[in-house]
Amino acid sequence: MKVEIYNALMARSAMTRRGVLKGAAGLGGLAALGGLGLGAGARPALAQDNLRAEILKIPGVGAGSPTDADWQKVGEMCLGPTKANVAEGEFVGVELTFMGLNNQNLHNFLFRGFLKPWETYTGAKINWIDLAQADYNPRLQQSIATGTVDFDIIEMGAPFEGDTAGQGLLDPMPDWVATQIEADDLVAYLKPPVGTWDGKTYRINIDGDCHTLSYRKDYVGEGSISGLAEMPRHWDEVNAMSIALKGKTDPLTGQPAYGFLDPLKGWGGFGFYFLEDRATAYVKHPDDRAFLFDPDTMKPRVNNPGWVQAIQDVMDLIAAGAYPPDQINADPGTTAFQQFLAGTGGALTWWGDVGSMARTSDTSVVGDVVSFDINPGAKKVYNHKAGAWEEKENFAPNLAYLGWGIYVTKNVSGDEKKRKAAWSAAAHLGGKDISLWMAAYPSGFQPYRNSHFNFDEWEAAGYDRAYIEDYLGSNRDSYNHPNAAIEPRIPGIFQYYSVAEDELAKGYAGQYKSAQETADAIAAAWEKITDQIGRENQIKLYKASLGM
Amino acid sequence: MAETGDLLHVVTNDDISPGRRAFGKAIVWASLALLAGTALVQTLDQSGTISLGLPNWRPTLYAYILFSVCLCWSQVLVRGEQGKRVLFVLPAALFVISLVVFPLIFGLIIAFSNWNLSSPDGRQFNGLDNVRQMWADPFYWNALGNMIRYLLAIIVEYAIAFGLALLLNAQIRGRKFFRVAFLLPLMLSPVAVSWMVGKSMLELRFGPIARLARFLGWDNPTFFSSPEMARFTIMVLDAWTYIPFMMIMILAGLQAIPKDVQEAARVDGASPWRGFWEVTFPLMLPVSITAILIRIIFKLKLADIIINLTSGGPGGATDSVTSFIYREYRDRSNVGYGTLLAMVYLVLIIIFMTVLMKVADRWMRPKY
Repeated sequence: MKVEIYNALMARSAMTRRGVLKGAAGLGGLAALGGLGLGAGARPALAQDNLRAEILKIPGVGAGSPTDADWQKVGEMCLGPTKANVAEGEFVGVELTFMGLNNQNLHNFLFRGFLKPWETYTGAKINWIDLAQADYNPRLQQSIATGTVDFDIIEMGAPFEGDTAGQGLLDPMPDWVATQIEADDLVAYLKPPVGTWDGKTYRINIDGDCHTLSYRKDYVGEGSISGLAEMPRHWDEVNAMSIALKGKTDPLTGQPAYGFLDPLKGWGGFGFYFLEDRATAYVKHPDDRAFLFDPDTMKPRVNNPGWVQAIQDVMDLIAAGAYPPDQINADPGTTAFQQFLAGTGGALTWWGDVGSMARTSDTSVVGDVVSFDINPGAKKVYNHKAGAWEEKENFAPNLAYLGWGIYVTKNVSGDEKKRKAAWSAAAHLGGKDISLWMAAYPSGFQPYRNSHFNFDEWEAAGYDRAYIEDYLGSNRDSYNHPNAAIEPRIPGIFQYYSVAEDELAKGYAGQYKSAQETADAIAAAWEKITDQIGRENQIKLYKASLGM
Repeated sequence: MAETGDLLHVVTNDDISPGRRAFGKAIVWASLALLAGTALVQTLDQSGTISLGLPNWRPTLYAYILFSVCLCWSQVLVRGEQGKRVLFVLPAALFVISLVVFPLIFGLIIAFSNWNLSSPDGRQFNGLDNVRQMWADPFYWNALGNMIRYLLAIIVEYAIAFGLALLLNAQIRGRKFFRVAFLLPLMLSPVAVSWMVGKSMLELRFGPIARLARFLGWDNPTFFSSPEMARFTIMVLDAWTYIPFMMIMILAGLQAIPKDVQEAARVDGASPWRGFWEVTFPLMLPVSITAILIRIIFKLKLADIIINLTSGGPGGATDSVTSFIYREYRDRSNVGYGTLLAMVYLVLIIIFMTVLMKVADRWMRPKY
């Protein structure tokens, strides 16, 4: 779980002490049952339930931040699946190098603790390369470009699969690993083709990511400033609400009220996700996996009528003066943390951090009035293949970034012992039970398995059920949505996003005559990138990433 | 002992045999040939003409080191005592050359290449394609246009810095305090300035400057919403950071002017304005030109505040060449094109600064 979310839940739990005690009692009961069961040789399922309850007690929900000792303890308790596949001391003499992040003293810091007992048991040794988030992409790209991949295991986001798996730098996952990590438990969108290339699986998931709608409950309902009964569910209605709110006063802050917040400034490529949030509703047709490019030609779809409609929606709000005055200079970070949490704006789409930080950030005033849903949809969808609009309701949650995973590089492919060791270490981190702990405690990772959405476990551990259901529910519904928009994992995907941000900035600043002209400029820039990276290869990899 | 020549500095009289001299020359040419040969073979290997599978350029580096050693050694062999003197400088010169010339050559090779880090084909020579792309790139020309605007702002910065320096040079109360206080912005990182001032104090709703502006009657004090205003805000933030630098240089210059010059002017009946304009200002010209030239160099590197505050927006209005190259290079991994843009910018800067220094030199030359 991301730190902010954990803190938010703690803040929530503090208010429902009774619930915590009830949960603790339940957990104690469960533990006692489990203890008896274990002693009496109970069913394995019960033993596993007990293990899950036991690890959730380390250090205990609300008992302060977990330490290295806690991570080691959890790692030790979750060694069962490793022991089933690896003999004690089997990897003596094997040295592996693991490259990952050190964000917020999490990620690699946790992995070190989790893998310490694994190292003790197997005899392998792991060397660590810790990177700050900002250094990660340049380090990875330079390693690839200069042929100096000096790591055996890597923590990596799915969008980089094009740069790595697409270039044959990764080792395919052995079948026993999929069994060990119980890959069937993954939420729908993380199942193949995500994590696979040309039919081979490379990724052990440890995270999930998507955009969801965060909105102010006090902006809707009886007597509210919008006069709407509930939060609009379609983009045209969201726009209408934004325009209608112009001139109204925010009930919490007394400042001017605004509707939906679009970030209009770039964010190193990440800002494009937010136009995608609008566009996927118009362009992600249920019968078509692709929505950014034509899979057969890599011709951009970003200037088709659906995308143009999304850009036009934003331009309409700019023209109507429906955004806060400095919105042209607001990046996604600003919209989330300086605007929405500070009481400016009625809704926005973002990753999970927003709603949770509402309760812990000092500048937040919206903690008690925030609610969540999947991204808004549209009342029409553009069928690119048919070249025509279809007048039907369409929802397509944007599964932006797809979360982190653990991958093994080709460096180990020639040495079967080393290869098995690398995959065993990776599988340990992606195990079903250890993942529950990572989902429940500060780790930097979001829930990503169906088993993570068993709210009873969360409640028994001491979490506030209502909040968990609301918050996690929006994630779960996005993950498992049948028409979710899944990011293409092609090389250089952030180059496309970055150049699109530059062109959008010009469009939003009125330097292009229309939304169509803006979209055409993006398409032209994308064509150049495709030609530079290599069209044929991009087509091949795009198809592979879509599972075509 | 020789009877003529450099009797004063020669410690020993070299008696260099023709054989030693020939050996000295031979090792230089041999090592140079080895260096050229190694570099050629590696180039052919890299281009795929031959296949040796050399993983890196270390053989050429080792050949260069060998050549450097032979060159230094040959100085002694061929020139004796005189050659030993050369050794005080030559190794350092070779080291500097290796750090300047080689990267420049590699930089030029990259600049004329199509090299996107995400491309599986790696770096490929593409002739003048990058130049053509640059020629037709509205973002680059827009950034260059912005740079001219940013540079022109230095005139205003200079006037303010001069005024402040005059104030601090005068007998005012709390002079020492103000000298330190005025220097504080210079001690701040531009990144900190962009966050503390740009993102916090100028924040529309809660920022104290925005509140003050509202109090003074500006309804919507938005500092980045229009192109002109955003550019002006960037100029102000950058000026706030670097005016103290110009100020302190000018102040040092003012303090170096002998007081009797001004006193003589006053005795001759010069008004304060004429005393400044016809005495102080001309005397300060060399310092002023130096301060302005250094400030121009700083300004040409302007990027951090822009990257943090506007990302070049709205619509490219605040983009500097460096911030654009940063996006092209870092966000888009477009190494070849990004390097060419940087090289062209370097050439433009060299030409601009050379012309500027020539003009300044002519301007500062005494006319009497």
